[in-house]
Formats: sequence, C-alpha cells, structure tokens
Amino acid sequence: MKAFSITAVNIKRMIRDPSTIFFVFIFPMLLILVIGAAFGGGFEPKVGVLNGGSGPYAEAFIAEIVGNDEFDAIDYEEIDLLLEDVERGVVNMGVVVPADYDSRLGNGDTAQVEFLGRLDQAVVQYRATIEAIAASQSAVFRAARLVESEGLAGFDEAVATAQSLAGTGAGTEVVRESAGESVFGEDLGQFDLGAPSNLILFVFLTSLAGSAALIQTRRLGVSRRMVSTPTSVGEILIGETGGRFAIALIQGLFIMVGAAVAFGVRWGNLVAAGALLVLIALVGAGGGMLMGSLFDNDEQAGSMGVFIGLGLAALGGCMVPLEIFPDTMVTIAHVTPHAWGLDGFAELVRHDGAIGSIGPELGVLALFAAAFLALGTWRLRVKLTH
Amino acid sequence: MRAALVIATKDLSQRLRDRSAILLGLVAPLGLALIFSAIIPDAAGTSFDVNVGVVDNDRGAVAAGFTGGVLAAVEADERMTVTEYSDVAAMESDIEEGTLDAGYVFAEGFSDDVEAGRGGTVRLISNVDSNISAQIAEAVLDGYLAEVDAIGIAVGSALVSGGSDVAALSTKAMDIPPAVVLADTEASNRELDVTTFFSAGMAVFFLFFTVQFGVSSLLEERFHGTLPRLLGAPISRWSILGGKGLTSFVLGLTSMAVLAVATTVFIGAEWGKPLGVAILMVAGVLAALGIMAVVAVVSKTPEQAANWQSIVAVVLGLLGGTFFPLSQGPRLLSLFSKLTPHAWFLQGLGDLSSGSGLSAVVTPVLAMLAFFAVTAAVAVVFGRGKVLAP
Repeated sequence: MKAFSITAVNIKRMIRDPSTIFFVFIFPMLLILVIGAAFGGGFEPKVGVLNGGSGPYAEAFIAEIVGNDEFDAIDYEEIDLLLEDVERGVVNMGVVVPADYDSRLGNGDTAQVEFLGRLDQAVVQYRATIEAIAASQSAVFRAARLVESEGLAGFDEAVATAQSLAGTGAGTEVVRESAGESVFGEDLGQFDLGAPSNLILFVFLTSLAGSAALIQTRRLGVSRRMVSTPTSVGEILIGETGGRFAIALIQGLFIMVGAAVAFGVRWGNLVAAGALLVLIALVGAGGGMLMGSLFDNDEQAGSMGVFIGLGLAALGGCMVPLEIFPDTMVTIAHVTPHAWGLDGFAELVRHDGAIGSIGPELGVLALFAAAFLALGTWRLRVKLTH
Repeated sequence: MRAALVIATKDLSQRLRDRSAILLGLVAPLGLALIFSAIIPDAAGTSFDVNVGVVDNDRGAVAAGFTGGVLAAVEADERMTVTEYSDVAAMESDIEEGTLDAGYVFAEGFSDDVEAGRGGTVRLISNVDSNISAQIAEAVLDGYLAEVDAIGIAVGSALVSGGSDVAALSTKAMDIPPAVVLADTEASNRELDVTTFFSAGMAVFFLFFTVQFGVSSLLEERFHGTLPRLLGAPISRWSILGGKGLTSFVLGLTSMAVLAVATTVFIGAEWGKPLGVAILMVAGVLAALGIMAVVAVVSKTPEQAANWQSIVAVVLGLLGGTFFPLSQGPRLLSLFSKLTPHAWFLQGLGDLSSGSGLSAVVTPVLAMLAFFAVTAAVAVVFGRGKVLAP
C-alpha cells in the first residue's frame, strides 16, 4: 500500500511538469509524424523537368517522363533553379528539353535533351531510365525518316504512323518478377518503420532522464524522511521502482495506442506486443533506478540520461534502421536492449509472429530488466541505508 | 565593457567546474556523431557489384544480340558480372539467396516473335532487396530492347506505308542514327557526406543547449538573490546583459570549434574552408543565443526556462534536419525547415563543400543574422523591462 503511494507520487510529479508532458507524449508523436512524412512515402526518385520547347514533340517527351511511375516529376521554369536543386539533392536529376527540340527533329537533325545529374552511383540508374525514354522517342523519328527516305510517305504522316505503331505496345515486353523475402516486409505502412523505434527510444530516454527525479527525492531529504517513518526500505524501493515502471508503461501505451489511432500503425499480435512493451518498460525502469543510484547530482543525471538515451538508441537501431547497419555494427547493436526490442516488433509486424516466435527477444529483455533492477535497487538500498 | 568581461569570466569558470556544459557541448555531440558515422554506411563510398544471370532458351539472333553483344560489352567494362545458366530454377534460387541481383530469361521462340512483329517477352527476375542493382540490370535490358523496338517500329511503319522488303528495310533502319540523344550536364554535389552531415548536425543541435548556460544564468542570479546585488553595483545594465551574452557566445563558439576539429581528426569529417566555416559558426552561435535568450527572458524560473529551452531546441533541431536530412521530404517540410537556423547552417556548409567560394555562405549567414537581430531585440526589450527590473 505504501509502495503504491510512492508510485502514485512519482506519476503525479511527472504529470505536473509541462516539459515532461511535451517530451513524454507530444514529441514522440511529432517525431513519428515527421519521419513518416519525410521517409514513409517510400523512396521515389524526383526528376525536375523543364520544357524549353513548345511543340508537340517536346510535349510528348515530357509526357513520357511524367507518366513514368518510377519517378516523381516536378516542373521547373528556370534552369538555374533546377541545377541548384539537383546540387542540393532536392531533386535527384533534371531533364531539360531544349527550345529547338521540335525544329531539329523536323529538319532531320539530332535533338539533344539535357540531363542534369550528379556523379554518384544512383544517377547511373536514373539516367538509364531517361535514356530509355529518349530511345523510345528517337524510335518514332527514325521510323519516320526511314519511311520518308524510302519515298513511302511525307514526314508528318510518317511520324503519325510510327507514333500509332509505338503506341500499340506491340513491341517487346519485359515481365518483372521478384524473388526472395524483403527485409522490410512487403506491405510496410508509411509510419510502421518509425513507430516501434520511437516507442523504444522514448521509453528508455524518459526512464534514464527521469532518474533525475529519483536523485531530487534523495537530495531534498524526502528519502531520508521516508526511511525514518515505519516504512521498510524494501517498500520504498518497490514504490520508487513502481514509479519508474509506471511512467515508462504509460508512455509506451500512449505511443502504441496513439500511433495506432492517429497514423494507423500496426503492432502485430497484441498479447506479444504487450509483453514486449512490459519488458521494455521494466528494462527502462531498471536503467533509471541504476542511473539514479549512481549519480548524486540531478542536473548531471538528467543530461547524462539524455545523452546515454540518445546514444544507445542510435547504436541500437532506433534512429537508423538496423537493416542498413554494416554487419559488425549489427552485432554490436545487440549489446543494447533497443536492438532486441526492435527485432521483437519486426517479427510481430513483418512476419505476423506471435508470442511464441519472439521468445529469444523476450528472454534477453527479461535478463536486461533483471540485471538492471537488481543492480539499481541494490545500489539504492546502500545509498538509503548509509 | 570591463564589467561585462568580469561577469563573463566568472560565469565561464563556473561552467567549467560544473561538468554539464562540457557534457552537452562536447561529449554528447561528439559521441553521437561517432555512433552515427559508425552505423551508417556512406552510400557514396560503396560500389555496386551487379551480378546478373541469364538463361537463353531462345538461341535466336535477337537474344544472341543481347547475351553476346550487350552483356559481353558491359562485362568487359566491368559494370556487371554475368553468369550463364541452363536452368531457370537454379538461377531463381541464386537470386532468392541474394548471390545474384537479377536474372534474364529468354524463352524459346523469342527471336521468331520479334522478327515476325509479334513483340516478344523477356522475363526479368530480381531479388526484392537489390533495388539499385536490379534496376541497373533492367536498364541494360531496356536499352537493348528499345533498339530492337526502334527497328521494329521503323520496319512496321514502312510496311504500313507500302514498303515490302523486310530484310532491306531492317538493314536501312539500323543505319539511321538516333534522333534524340541525352547530353550530360554534370552538377556538383552540395550535399554533405554522411560523416560530415552528422558531425555538423549534432554540433548545431547541441549548440542550442550549450548557449543556454549563459543567457539562463540571469534567471539563476535572480533566483539565488545575486541579481539585485549586481544591479546595485555601479555598472550599467548593458554590462550585465553583455556579460551573460558573451558567456553564451564563448561557450557556443568553443564547443563548435572543438567539435569541428575533433570530428575532422577522429572520423574524417570534411567541414570545408576554415574561414567560411568560421563565419557560419559565428552566425549560427548568434542565432542560437538570440533564440535561447528570448525563451529565458519570458520564463519565470530557471527550471521553466530550461524546460522550454529543451523543447525549443529539440523541435527546431528536428525541423532543421539535424538528425536526418529533410531535403528529400515533402516540399512543405523543407519550407518549414527554413524557419530554423539549423537548416541554414547546414545548407551553408553544403554549399561550401561543393567548392563554391565564400559568396556561398552569404545567404545562410544573412538568414542566421536575421534570426539573431530579431530575437536579440526581443530579448533585450523584455530582459531590461522584466528580468532586470529591480
């Protein structure tokens, strides 16, 4: 009962602090929103197009690019702006159809379409697609020139014939198939990748930074006064641990439910996801207890907590997906509880796993929780009783 | 002026003793930059080995033009490694395992179909995760098929228009040069490489935490009752504000400078021309100082100031693209990002890194100085009227 009151006081202290409300509830949702908006749409290379010409041939070229579903096309009016955006990476490449495009093609000359790109690997691939479009346009005029030179029809008429032939799709066809299993899963929602990372990042961050509250309790003499009342040290420790755990759990639940409701994030099997969340909150609570018992200065513990929280999150794959880590770093990442938590959610969301399939992850998290809680409460007991 | 220096010196020595300034100004950004540079492979540094397989069950002229002509040429250029398979299933299993990025399958009768004007189908099987390699493989095939189609369309058009000799028309069609070609204009790269991006991003992110130590100490002085004593001393209020501002400025600039040197030495970040970087840093520190000063003077207690400063620093840092670049995101997001000094600082560094001269930093510097001018004015008006009121 007394332990409950101590837990309750901890929760009340958190709710009364406006910045905690922001960092615990508002900021995680904001981050899921921004990451989802920036990266969740799936990566679609952007091509800036500038139509310097005015004739129907130029229009046809631009239409081919706009209609290509590999790219997201953006219109530009000025070549300087287009070049600058290519350099800044706002668009991946630029295509400029020159003013004399139609006239050169009409005169039997070669028309040059300008391709603006940076010399990096990805551009090779984008360029190839634009080149294929140029080749398909080129084919029409080559055909027309053949027909004209054979004296079979006039140029304009021949262009129309060739265009209609090219438009029938009677040419060769490539049937694309994919093999293997995608590391990210096939039907990943816009916010699905960011939400579990943020859940884990913030539960740990809040728990570690929250160790400052534990130190304040000691520094202000609240702990000493509690010890002087007929309350056992064990009860105080359970109450304080309960406080850390409750805050971590409330935040985790809020992010889970909030992300599901606001952004339609899927968490997979609910029982298994719940078990993961409880264990993550326990590890967080243990980490907070440990920090709170190792430091004696609440400001230092607060900043250290933020730094360690962000550092472990980055190392554990919460900021950059583990899937793109170099191999050795993936191994190192699994020193953190974060990586195990992420593996667990990945299994649930991408492979429709249930509680049985995340046994190793749950086990490792339980070990982390047990170790942190044991060390933290032991150190704190020493500090409270000496 | 002397009084301002004395105040700043005292504050600075106090901050050095309290380790939190060192932690937030140096240890945290350096540590995070190190972690980020370790976990993110630099895309520019990785070379693509494109491994493709091919099964030719057609054995006709058109398929041979690809396998013997195009593929042989790209392999000779070392752009791809090509393996021939006799069995589709064997190739497919290698693609599934990821040893092959993609495979081409020419079915029996492909060449006949093409020559008879019936089209013809090539299967391209790719590994789900070898996006770029598979797209290169596809582009190579597309390039060849485009030529095949071009001749098909030319011959077809001639036949429709009354021509008759298919073989002669094909030969003539092949001799007609391309009508539309691509001309390359090489653009320079104004984006920072991964290591430099995270070094600079973390430095400017934590800068907003570092500068708060000076400006917020005004509130602490009042809280601890030392402010009335300062006000009682025969020094102008400007000296007090100046001293606090100077503390923030020195802390911020020191942390940025040390971080630039440390990340260059330890992880090979490339910040660019020192003079340009220095100008950007000064402007960045001033902008950060102004913004944090406004938050400090509108707050009532040191705790309240610290809370709101963290919120402002984190939100601006996120929107400013310090944790991940937002340039590829939706337009609205990159516009929002221009409302933060962070984005201007990183843009200035990016422009500088592309090799442009000092003129590249003019716009970013002016933008950051505008932040400083507006926020400093607000802070001084509020600060003199409210915080420094006796």
